[in-house]
Amino acid sequence: MKPRHQIPLLVLLSLFTFINLVPILWGLLISIKQPADAFSIPPTLIFEPTLLFHWEVWVERGFFSFLINSLIVAGGTICISVPLGTLAAYGLARTKTKHASTLLFSLLAIRMLPQILLAIPFFVMARYLSLIDTYIMMILAMVAINQPFTIWLMRSFFVDVPVELDEAAMIDGCNRWQAFWHVVLPTVRPGLAVTSLFSMLLAYNEFLFALILTGSRTKTLPVAIAEYGGEDINYWSISAAGAIGIMLPPVIFTILVQRHLIRGLTFGAVKG
Amino acid sequence: MGESGPMWLFMAPSVLVIALVLFYPFFSAVYYSFFNYYLGSQAITFAGLDNYTNLLSEERFWITLGNTFFIVGCSVALQLVLGLALALALYACTRGVRLISLLNFLPHVVTPVVGGIFLKWMFVGRWGLLDATLIGFNIFPPDWLGDPGWAKFTVILADTWKFMPFLMLVLYAGLQAFDTALLEAARIDGASPWQLLWYIILPMMKPLILFVVAIRTMDAFRFFDLIYVLTNGGPGTATETITLYTYQIGFRLLEVGRASALGVLTLIVVAMMVAGLIWFMQRRGREAF
Repeated sequence: MKPRHQIPLLVLLSLFTFINLVPILWGLLISIKQPADAFSIPPTLIFEPTLLFHWEVWVERGFFSFLINSLIVAGGTICISVPLGTLAAYGLARTKTKHASTLLFSLLAIRMLPQILLAIPFFVMARYLSLIDTYIMMILAMVAINQPFTIWLMRSFFVDVPVELDEAAMIDGCNRWQAFWHVVLPTVRPGLAVTSLFSMLLAYNEFLFALILTGSRTKTLPVAIAEYGGEDINYWSISAAGAIGIMLPPVIFTILVQRHLIRGLTFGAVKG
Repeated sequence: MGESGPMWLFMAPSVLVIALVLFYPFFSAVYYSFFNYYLGSQAITFAGLDNYTNLLSEERFWITLGNTFFIVGCSVALQLVLGLALALALYACTRGVRLISLLNFLPHVVTPVVGGIFLKWMFVGRWGLLDATLIGFNIFPPDWLGDPGWAKFTVILADTWKFMPFLMLVLYAGLQAFDTALLEAARIDGASPWQLLWYIILPMMKPLILFVVAIRTMDAFRFFDLIYVLTNGGPGTATETITLYTYQIGFRLLEVGRASALGVLTLIVVAMMVAGLIWFMQRRGREAF
């Protein structure tokens, strides 16, 4: 493209980006404005910022404990899903049989499964086993959703490692497990980090399963903030502060995995 | 490598867990769908295909299915056009591409419920930013979330806001993988930018475009969080998608059997659509690219 087109293009792109981010910026403004400023018409742009509502929501209204719940669920999911998925991914990346590719594509087909169909039996099982409002059911549900994705994503990292590396290690006297553990696994460390981050984001953002499987003791952040909603204007400042806080980990996540976003996205990491 | 024995050992733990947390629940749901099963009452009676036939003869099922198709269709089309335009703009841009794509990507990673709340503060009557601004210009705004037509519009816009970044990023990556020599040759031959787009870029992108449309179609049937927060399916059933309807039956009315049947029907619809898309891709694959 010709250089003289660059400036209008950049202006257009910046404008679009700004409009795209208005909802988030508006939420940020509500969270740091006094209500009197927040709801004046036309909206005021000059005001004295306050962090009062951020303090109130995280400390006084217990969002901090919901954050802990979210982290326990996300952590538990990573601890089960990533090791299992990594092992399977290695197996699949190094097997060329027909069964292996059948397995891979049936994992992809699981993506078609409507999650609500899975949510029903999880709810019934949780009720039957009195496991509603415990972490374990929620973690298992997240593993179920996560496992196919974890395998596909990790497999893509293993495929990038040349088979000769395994072969060389095995010629040097390693057995299959030692070749995997001491030689191949260390080379895919970045892949492990990226996969863990994606799994974490998925569990952290999950709403439907959290809505039906968690209760007052294990409530995660999305459920907590949904209860405040956006309707009642008296709660706007507080829920805006909560919403902005909840948004921070995904934002940090995006910056961390920038280079691997495409890979993760096409395998279905982030969902609606 | 001849030995496949140890390789299966690597896969075994994962396969076991998948069987336990994915296949067992899935088949239980299919099993429930053939029973009159209310949570809370002890009596579970075999219903045969009753749950299915009742749903298929019910008006609300067809309304929610229609809503789902309408909302998904409009928003996927809108996202595709916007995402493609943005991807092309980023491709043509030489500075700040990384920052711009990162910033535009944020709506996609923000926790969906939180995104829904942010959007609600745009559209909510009177105090929302949109209404406040419009009233400031003496324009009387419509009821974005309360009028059936506008509520559909708002939900489509919300879904677009959330998923446009996904299409932008995947299509941008596709553009970058291009052979620039071809574009260069066409440009030297005097092709206008529109001709480049229409005759070279779009045909080359077709497989990728079909791929992302397939992915979005599959995901769209899971669309729940944003609508739940924005309209909860209202007003009436104007924005009620099939997932929200299943939620109502399963978790509000606790009719597990009927909800499972609805879930199975959804799966059948999704599978048929995906099969159609794959068929379309393979057929096109033989002739066009």
